[in-house]
Amino acid sequence: MSGRPFDLASLVAGIALSVLGVILLLDQVDAIELSFGYLVPALLAVVGSILLAAGLSGPR
Amino acid sequence: MSAASPQASQPPPLRRHRDGAVFGGVCAGLGRRLGLDPIVLRVVFIAMTAAGGLGAVLYALLWAALPAEGEARAARMRVPRVPGGDSWSVAAGMGMLVLALLLLFRQWGLWVGDGLVWPVVLAAAGGGVIWRQSARAADPAPAREAAARPGGGSALGRAALGVALVVGAALLFLYFNDALRPARDVLLPAVVVLVAGTLILAPWWIRLVRGLADERAERIRSQERAELAAHLHDSVLQTLALMQRRVDDPREVAALARRQERELRAWLNGGRALGERGTLAAALELAAAEVEDDHGVAVDVVTVGDAPLSEEAEALVAAAREAMVNAAKFGDGAVSVYAGVDEHEVEVFVRDRGPGFELEAVPADRRGVRESIVGRMQRHGGTAQVHSVAGEGTEVELRMRRA
Repeated sequence: MSGRPFDLASLVAGIALSVLGVILLLDQVDAIELSFGYLVPALLAVVGSILLAAGLSGPR
Repeated sequence: MSAASPQASQPPPLRRHRDGAVFGGVCAGLGRRLGLDPIVLRVVFIAMTAAGGLGAVLYALLWAALPAEGEARAARMRVPRVPGGDSWSVAAGMGMLVLALLLLFRQWGLWVGDGLVWPVVLAAAGGGVIWRQSARAADPAPAREAAARPGGGSALGRAALGVALVVGAALLFLYFNDALRPARDVLLPAVVVLVAGTLILAPWWIRLVRGLADERAERIRSQERAELAAHLHDSVLQTLALMQRRVDDPREVAALARRQERELRAWLNGGRALGERGTLAAALELAAAEVEDDHGVAVDVVTVGDAPLSEEAEALVAAAREAMVNAAKFGDGAVSVYAGVDEHEVEVFVRDRGPGFELEAVPADRRGVRESIVGRMQRHGGTAQVHSVAGEGTEVELRMRRA
């Protein structure tokens, strides 16, 4: 493994996008019903967690 | 189909490969990593795109996520930041998470009503901005740094944003509770009275504010006059009194006058006392003052630029001091010192109008020039050259690279 510094923001972004993708996939296979009322909070949570992680990880 | 190189003990890292790239180098990089022909991968992506568009989406994601050959990481995966710094990113992120949570509660029916929640949220946000701005105003250093950051905005802008959020929250609350029209009926007379009162009292208020500003300026001026008077008493008056008592010793009088001149110049040029050595220029002036006092010869110092007093600069000052001592002892009359500092190099010239000398004729056991000047400069990475012509004086040239 290369000695790259740990980047919290990228990790959170990857995890958040993965979770969103899983949610959309579950909606697509009718395992859950994703209405607009749930989709908007999900998108806000993804963007918000990425911004929060970017802000907490400090300047580069 | 090309195979992976049999000589490689480890597969190459997964990167977008510019050589042989058609679009972004994703297939070229994947092929290199997996040991497959990039053309095969391109056919697969095209087929996936034709089958439902997934190929294009996957290609775009890989293009964003994979760094190009030679880069440490994917520049396009750099997380977007809100302009203005990390605190605003944190605030925006927290705000979005809170908003997401509130929308979820609303969706689940755990809701007290739009008329209460949204105004409270807006008021809390506005109050937070105003509170943070007032805390920053109490400490001007972070405020200056924040204003200097690109996209940081001004303090007035941030305060205005906070006020706008709070006012918007109040209006929203009134709107949701059908109280906007009655509120207008109450506010309008209040606003009219306020405007009328302002117009009546404005001249007195402006006069009062101007008077306070004038009084403050006058107080500052009188403080500065008192400081100046105290400094002149402690320095110039004392020196003049001393010179009157030593009138029979012209050399002592000249030394006193030169010292006082140096102190006044240092004070006028930056408020720095002559005894402080914090920078190269100050150290050179101090060294010149010491040589003047010890040998009774005027040493004029001119410096252009300045630098912190590093170890190399200390060595340079010590070498320059030795050159001044030699000039004072063997020169004829005043000694001139010029120091120039730029971002790459420091140069110092020490010149006298004496009879001059030949460096080779100086006995080997005399260490004044060879060791204390030339040798010292060489040991610290600098150079020293002595230019001396018989009958025309001597110039010692000292150069030191800055770290």
